[in-house]
Amino acid sequence: MTESVSACGQLCTELNAAWAIAKKDILIYYLKPNIIVSGALFPLFMFLAFAVGRPAEPSTMIPGLIAITILFSASSIEPVSIPIERRMKTFDRLISAPITLHAVVLGESLSGFLYSVGIAFVPFIAGIVLFGTPILNIAPLVLGVILTAFCFATMGTLFAAYPTESPGDIMSMLNLVRLPLIFVSGVFIPLSQIPAAGQFITYLSPLTYGNDLIHAAYAGTTSFNPLVDIAMLCIFILLFQFAANRLYKKFNE
Amino acid sequence: MYAIEALSLSKRFGNLQALSHVDFSVSEGETFGFLGPNGAGKTTTIRILTGITSPTEGTARIFGKDIVKETIAARRQIGIVHETSNIYTDLSAWQNLMFTAELYNVGRQQREKRGRELLDLFGLLERKDDKTNGFSKGMKRRLTLAMGLINDPRLLFLDEPTSGLDVQSNLIIRDVIRDLNGQGVTVFLTTHNIEEANLACDRVAIINHGRVAAIDSPERLKKTIQSVQSVEVAFDSSGAVKTDDLERIPAVSDVIKEGDKFRLITEDPPAVIDGVMVFARAHGTRVISITTLGPSLEDVFIRLTGLDIRTKGVKTVD
Repeated sequence: MTESVSACGQLCTELNAAWAIAKKDILIYYLKPNIIVSGALFPLFMFLAFAVGRPAEPSTMIPGLIAITILFSASSIEPVSIPIERRMKTFDRLISAPITLHAVVLGESLSGFLYSVGIAFVPFIAGIVLFGTPILNIAPLVLGVILTAFCFATMGTLFAAYPTESPGDIMSMLNLVRLPLIFVSGVFIPLSQIPAAGQFITYLSPLTYGNDLIHAAYAGTTSFNPLVDIAMLCIFILLFQFAANRLYKKFNE
Repeated sequence: MYAIEALSLSKRFGNLQALSHVDFSVSEGETFGFLGPNGAGKTTTIRILTGITSPTEGTARIFGKDIVKETIAARRQIGIVHETSNIYTDLSAWQNLMFTAELYNVGRQQREKRGRELLDLFGLLERKDDKTNGFSKGMKRRLTLAMGLINDPRLLFLDEPTSGLDVQSNLIIRDVIRDLNGQGVTVFLTTHNIEEANLACDRVAIINHGRVAAIDSPERLKKTIQSVQSVEVAFDSSGAVKTDDLERIPAVSDVIKEGDKFRLITEDPPAVIDGVMVFARAHGTRVISITTLGPSLEDVFIRLTGLDIRTKGVKTVD
């Protein structure tokens, strides 16, 4: 019997299991066509649809492209992988293992996070190579990419808690949230130009804070204090993790 | 200490009472069968005992650990083989095993050693690096069982382990269950195959409509319905013999045709044997073989679950 194989304790066990879940997702789902389309190609087309022809500097457009790439790529893995796992009954393996639901949620989110960080390199490199876009401060870019990617990966895991075996059901709900976020978060329309009635929604969008932080790396200015951006993204991550944990527990009953 | 203690387990889904005050215990090293028709509450019971869902009322303990309050500690002692062969078909057999081992926190050296042993045991070592989407149903089932054993559990939950499998896989899995039992592993087996339960289990529980209808050893359960004895007879011209005619033999309560044989249900086998001989002479045929049979576990199951389409006049036992 392997009741206590490792000396690292339950926390270490949970982290190891979360990493195992993420590795499994990387092996199985990263190259699935529907994930490539919704996670990588869709944000690119969205960006081209709204950015081409607009008289904006690359230093303004590249942060926006990075932000929406992260939004779509980070939240695209779990809404596909978890319904498929429900259908194949492999999800029962995860929820019956000697780990908490927190570890399952963390592991699933981790795979979306890593996928998103990888995809975010594409607009980042494109900005440097094609437009020579200068980066004024790398720290907010790194923090912005990491926190925003983890935030939206957790949001994807939260939506995937809905007990369906069809990825389309979750993607439909998720797009109802993701698409409006692009327009209220300062990605294409500067926050100062958003009507007063929309400002309230702006503050409720995690993309606002992620985009603001990434924008700071290129423009050197932010709408909010960077510490506020970081704090708000951390709050959203905790909120989504907590809500996801509760929903998975509720829907397993 | 019991391997499993279920104390007044109840589960309600909205207006549906899926389980109602289910009580049983399973001793360490025992092979315990859980039989019941579809919808009886078998899966709900397993989901509660493995901590996937919580009971509405009652308590379940695994080796003394409360499955609701000490879920992780309880789960570390168990292996689960789900009803569906739930393997990742985009991964190889080896990757599936190693992933499960990591979920159960089995150390690297131990999981690699154990993984090789299990693949060898289940005849899959040569295919260890092949993606499992090319595996047959039997191979997938064997891999599922290997994944259930990767953490060397003290208690193994087996949900319909041999359902619909080829002969080779069936034999391998039955041998493994027997060996596990010999090693002191407790086995909790749900199955539709009553003969499998009869052969493998020390005790069986029969569950129906969310309640346990009976728990005992297969032999003791059979003794509770001695009235369902039977005489199995084969005639040299079975095609000419009619079921309706056999039902007229004194003391026969029902007749079931089973291939080239007839099974005559009775409370008085000697009287039926005499009657069969008279019948054969009267109908110009000969008896090729005749055997008296005691009640089978299937008879007990049918009687207790009310699924009787064969034995007339038998009612469900509450």
